[in-house]
Amino acid sequence: MTPAAVLDAAFDAARLDDTLAALADPHRRRVVDLLSERPRRSGDLARQIGLAPPAMSRHLKTLRDCGLVEERHDGPDARVRIYSLRPEPMAYLKQWLDQMEALWSDQLTAFRDHLAARAP
Amino acid sequence: MTSRVLVSIRVPAAAMTAFTVFTQEIGLWWRPNALFQFTPRDPGVLSFDGGEGGRFIETLPNGKVFEIGRVRAWEPGRRLVFGWRQATFAPGQDTEVEVVFEALGPAETRVTVEHRGWDSVPAEHVARHHFPDGVFLRRHGDWWQALMDAYRGRLA
Repeated sequence: MTPAAVLDAAFDAARLDDTLAALADPHRRRVVDLLSERPRRSGDLARQIGLAPPAMSRHLKTLRDCGLVEERHDGPDARVRIYSLRPEPMAYLKQWLDQMEALWSDQLTAFRDHLAARAP
Repeated sequence: MTSRVLVSIRVPAAAMTAFTVFTQEIGLWWRPNALFQFTPRDPGVLSFDGGEGGRFIETLPNGKVFEIGRVRAWEPGRRLVFGWRQATFAPGQDTEVEVVFEALGPAETRVTVEHRGWDSVPAEHVARHHFPDGVFLRRHGDWWQALMDAYRGRLA
């Protein structure tokens, strides 16, 4: 493996940890649920979930920081922000699980070879 | 796809032998892997320190010991469950490995590894929201499954 590939993998792992940590919170999972239906304004999200706008802002910042959601401005009022989902973090998780499966496959093969070598 | 990893292999040994070699000789057969280091340091030697309630550890070249996880089930010849935490995991983030040894004959065993908990909830979140553990974790698992299904098309 090249050093660059190792770095990429470490980067992915860090991103994955951020994703898992962000989604460990029930309010943020609810946000992801709502955004999986369609993009929404932060005010709509706050009302739907029953959170005060400052609390919602903090959750949205966490979700933005780990790349799960993105925001854009809509219309002439710069204060109105529309949030939508980004698929990349979930792609990291899928990639991670694939790599984990490959790891266990290799390790179990090594275990079998070890057993075979020691058998009489 | 699911948020767990399931891998199985047949090995040429009795189930009890397979269990004993898996646990006692893991330092010999495990292949250190650049992608899955438990700590950022040079890889060390893995071992199980004690049976049920014991520890699964990595002893680093400098002599320091990193606890990968606690041994949660120790049933010689049948089943082994241990925690799996890498140094990069977020606080409270934990995964779990279950290894099942199933006798196929006097000298053949199927060894199945299930590595789960990539969708696990840090314990402090469960406490904070007062969900009964089992219910919450199952619902969380269902939620992850649905989310992964929803994303499947986009990941292809």
